Formats: sequence, C-alpha cells, structure tokens
Amino acid sequence: MAFLDNSGDIILDAVLTEAGRRRMAEGNFKITKFALGDDEIDYSLYNKNHASGSAYYDLEILQTPIFEAFTQVNAGINYGLLPTTATDLLYLPIMKVNELTVITADTRAIASSGSSGMFMVTDSSGDSSAAIRTVLSDNSINSINGNSPQTCVLLETGLNTGQGNVPNGTAANRKSYLAANGLIDSRLVVFYDSRFFNGVKGLAKNSGFSNNGQDNALMSQLILSDGSRASIQSGLDNYAAAMILGIKNQIVQPSSGTDTEADLSVISGPKGIVAAVAPTINPGLDAEYSLYGGETSIGGIDCKFIDTTIFVQGTSTSAQLQIPIRIIKLA
Amino acid sequence: MAVTNYERLDPTNDLTNTRTLLHESIPLTGTIISGTYGTFPDEANIKNYSHGQFQSVYDYPYLSSSANHIFDIAIGFDEGSPLSGSVSSTQESKKINMYNQMSQVLLGYTGSNNTVRKFELDTTLDGSGEMKEALFLNFSRLITKDQIKKGTVSVTLGTGSWAAPFALTKTLTDASASATQGTANTLGGDYGVLYDSGNTARGIVFYQAGLVALSTSSFDTMTDFYSSSAGTSSVGNTLVSSSISASCDSLRHRVQNISFNNTTEINSSIYFCRVPHNKYNHSGNPTYLSSSTIRVKSVNSDQPIAYITTIGLYSADNELLAVAKLSEPLRKDPTNELTLRVRLDY
Repeated sequence: MAFLDNSGDIILDAVLTEAGRRRMAEGNFKITKFALGDDEIDYSLYNKNHASGSAYYDLEILQTPIFEAFTQVNAGINYGLLPTTATDLLYLPIMKVNELTVITADTRAIASSGSSGMFMVTDSSGDSSAAIRTVLSDNSINSINGNSPQTCVLLETGLNTGQGNVPNGTAANRKSYLAANGLIDSRLVVFYDSRFFNGVKGLAKNSGFSNNGQDNALMSQLILSDGSRASIQSGLDNYAAAMILGIKNQIVQPSSGTDTEADLSVISGPKGIVAAVAPTINPGLDAEYSLYGGETSIGGIDCKFIDTTIFVQGTSTSAQLQIPIRIIKLA
Repeated sequence: MAVTNYERLDPTNDLTNTRTLLHESIPLTGTIISGTYGTFPDEANIKNYSHGQFQSVYDYPYLSSSANHIFDIAIGFDEGSPLSGSVSSTQESKKINMYNQMSQVLLGYTGSNNTVRKFELDTTLDGSGEMKEALFLNFSRLITKDQIKKGTVSVTLGTGSWAAPFALTKTLTDASASATQGTANTLGGDYGVLYDSGNTARGIVFYQAGLVALSTSSFDTMTDFYSSSAGTSSVGNTLVSSSISASCDSLRHRVQNISFNNTTEINSSIYFCRVPHNKYNHSGNPTYLSSSTIRVKSVNSDQPIAYITTIGLYSADNELLAVAKLSEPLRKDPTNELTLRVRLDY
C-alpha cells in the first residue's frame, strides 16, 4: 500500500507592497480580501489540437515561468480572474474604440491622429492670436477640446466574433449571449492622470446609439455629461477614477444585408454598450509640459505636448482598454 | 490596472496567526578568531580602538566592506576583587567600569545601598559563588539574531602552555539549561551556567543579550596564560598588569572553538484564500479571448479553465497590500476548489 503524494500542499509566502509597508508604518494595515491574477499566462499557448491528447493541451501554459512578486502596487495584478459562475460561456465581450469614418463624420466621436494612434486633446488656455484648434484642424487632426469637451472617444463593447460568424449581431443574440449572462457593462471606470485632467465626461443617460433595422441608417444622439468621481484604487501614482455610463448599443444587423452594420460598429457580433470618454484638462497646465512632455511642430507651428494614457474598465465584464492621449497646446 | 473582482476573507475562519522559532547553528572556529588573517596578535580582522576598552572580531579583514562583525571581547573585574587596587595595574578604572557596566545592565542593582550586583556562577543570585573577574564575549546581533538557544552553547578553551595552548583543552557547555529549566531570569534576560566536564561552573551565558562571561578560574593553574617579550604571566597578573587589548589577545589565543544555535522568532499571519469551485474559472487576461471566443473552449459545454499565478491581498479600500506568487501556474476549473495558504511573516 503506497503512500499518498502530499506534495500538492500549497503554501505561499507573500511580500508586502509599498502600500503595505506604508500602511504598516501608519498602523492601519488590515487585509480583508484577495484577488487572483494570471498576468504571465499567454492563453494562445493552449493547444486544443495537440496530437498527444487533452492532457497535453495546456502543457506549455503550465511550463510558463512565473515572475517574483513585484512590490509596486500597479504591477500586482493587472487583469485578474473573473468570478463569473456560469460554466457554459463560450464568448466574452471585448472593448474597442470606434473610429469608423461614418461615426466620426456624423457624431461627436473623433478618430486618432494618423499613424500615431493617439487621440488629441487640445489645451486652448492662453490662446490669443493663434488658436490650437485651428492649427490642428488645418492639418486634418481631430481633437477633443479639453477645456470644454464637446467631442469624445467612442467605445463599444460586445462579442467581436467576426463577420459571417455566429453569433451575429442581432438583438436576440445581444439578449441571449450578453444580457442573459450579465455581460453588459452599464457602468465603466475611467482612470486618468489627475495631474493633467480634472475629470472625464461620458454619455448622458438620454443618449442613444442605434441604426435603422432596414436600411442601416445611423441614428445616434451622443450627449456628454460629467462622469462621477469614484474612490477606486487604480494602483497607478497620480491616477484618479471616474464612473461613466454605458448606453445600450442598439446597432444590429439590418435586414438590408448581412454584416452591413460593420459600417457603423467595430464590434462584429452582438453588441453590448457604447460609451464616451472626453477628458477635461486641468486649468493652468504650464510647467507640466516641460516636466512631463515635450515640444513638437504641427504645420510649421510650435506646440507643446504631454502624452498620457486613459484606462477604461467595464465594471461587469472587466473588459479593459487603454486610450493613448496627447494633450497639445501652442508653444 | 485595478482589479475589481475580490473574494472576502473572513477574519474568524480565514486567518490564523502563528509564531515559529527558527534556529541556525553558529560555529566560530578559533582559526578565524586568531591566526587566519595575519600574524597574532595583529590580525587584520581584529579591531582595537583608541579608547582601549574592548576588541572587535570580524569574519574578514575589517577594512573590507565584506567584513561582518562577529563579537567583541572585553575584560573586567569588580572593585572588590583581589585584582583591584594593585600598584602595578594598567587601565584599572576601565576594567572596573567594564565589569560594572555589564553587571548593571544584565543584573541591575540590589541591597539597601543599591549596589550593583555581581555575576555569580550559579542561578540563585544569592551572593554566593560570585564571579568578580570576568572575560566577556559580546556576540553581534547579526549572529545571535533574537537570542541564543538555551542548551546549545559550547566554548572550548586551550589550557595548555602558551606555545601549545590546545595541547590541553577545556570545553564549557550550558547543557543543563533548556527552554524550561536551568536558567535564571534577570534584568538582562535569562542566563545559564557554563560547566566544564567536571561539572564545575566556569562562566555564564546571557541568552537574549548574547553575552558570555567567562570566569578566570579556567586558567587559574596556568603560569603562562599570557606571554610577551616581557615574560609570561598568570591570568590574574595579566588582568591586572596588561592592557585590556593585550588581555583580549591572550584570551583569543586560547579560544579553540565557540558554537551555539541562534533563534529567530517569526510571527506569521496565514490567510486561507478559498477559491470556490464555481468561481474564478474565467480570466480577464487579454489573451484569454480570440475573436471574443474563450480560447480554452471549443464548444460551450467544455469546462472553462484559468491558471492562477498570483494572489493579491487587499485592504478594504482596494489597496494592494501584499502579493504572493505561485512557483508555477495552477490550473483552476469547475472541478476543483482550492485553498491557498498565504503566509505573511513579520
């Protein structure tokens, strides 16, 4: 009678993060919950066609070398495992930026700037004889007026299964694949650098985003309103959080032709929500341009800029997106 | 980026605190103490100070940044000792001060005159068995850690001639001391008695303070405890007439071996992170999806699978306070329920 193998006992040694050490010194160190992460894992290594059978499907994943613990708070867990209890899900939503020509032409949404992929936010404070927005528009660069945003970066979530693949983008599929499984992000968290922005506008409750079920004509009403400040830790220094609304994305496959809704939506499949991100610049940004940014020339005119990133995360699905932002101002 | 999916830890059922004592064996061979890094008595790992009150022993030439301080050697005697008051004494006040400093810190004051206690070669502190002359070995915190483990101290001294000190040896141990008996508790913590093989008390050891006080009685019968160009001298004459550093040199010359176990006290909180079978089988990792389809599934009836590599411990306001990593990815699917024990040491 052989002994049982008891080597599977899992005891892990934890290391304190910077925040943990600080709290220890302050005397308010108290752990109340835990989360699980898998940041090192590349799930594309899961080989469902391994010739040796199912026991070998995850062989490469299980051999993934794991990093030692980081002590920086932001490097702890970036994505995390999801507490979803359903076991029959085959699809999960993703989040994408909608920069389609029709959308940027007909709505408040803007596209990123050329090959840089960055979204321009203009700082017009101090503009006098020349205006930064004129400089940018002369060069066909879309931008958000960061002093009083009326335009935005438009986001969509949904199952991007691809044109011609099931499930396609019908209203019924939205209901059965997304709504029925709690995969609709009616609220999203936006993390922004509070050194440069003092808030973020999102879509108001009475906004709409839909198409005509017959001829696929866009019917949108994107109304911006202030997002609410949220006390959610981003783990990033200087970052603050705001909560914005996710509006029902009612772009559906029209009867006029399969997948023609791709003219309006970047989600090829059932669509979840649409949301807008329009950051508002901190008034009086000045020294920050030399501290954190640089100088460039647009159309022969000298400008100052700061590059930063806005992070957006769905509260229900944990779908995430990073939006690269360039704040730009006349030099 | 912020994690938004947490599992609560119940402070009653998911947390336990433990205290663990770790012990390391510390062997200090006489060759390090004398002779390895130069010629006696001017070895490069021995540091003498201009104040002349004690001598420091390092494990490497002390001018090197790689050197670690191991222990200090000092000598002293009580002003009531027969050695006190000699006309040929050298640094007498410093030797008396050293004895008093050691005794006032480790034993304190007593009696109607509030006089400093004297070391005793027993655990009764009743005034009998007084040790009025002592050779002190002050071990560094680096090697004693929280305290010396009781019952593990061994000091082997050479009692042969000056030319061949280890032709005869005397090993002193505190074998009668243990965690539960054989020690006395004083201001300076617990101390035990060092006995030779004939069960004669030859010194005492303070466990928390990391200090050994040796009686000169181990060397009483010798006429050449110390030898120099001026001639040989007994241990008593050495303590009286020689400088403190020369007395320390003579003791180093006769230390063959010192060993003990140190103790490190580790307080741990163990968090039982219970991962239910029906949760955390999906991931927010961007590679988890291909065209919004879960990569590890072919049809929706396949089991979802995720792989855990990290556990983050959070405060109530979602601040990451500690991180634990697995050595390899741990598969999580609906058929298994995991309890991950995460230990945080203080």
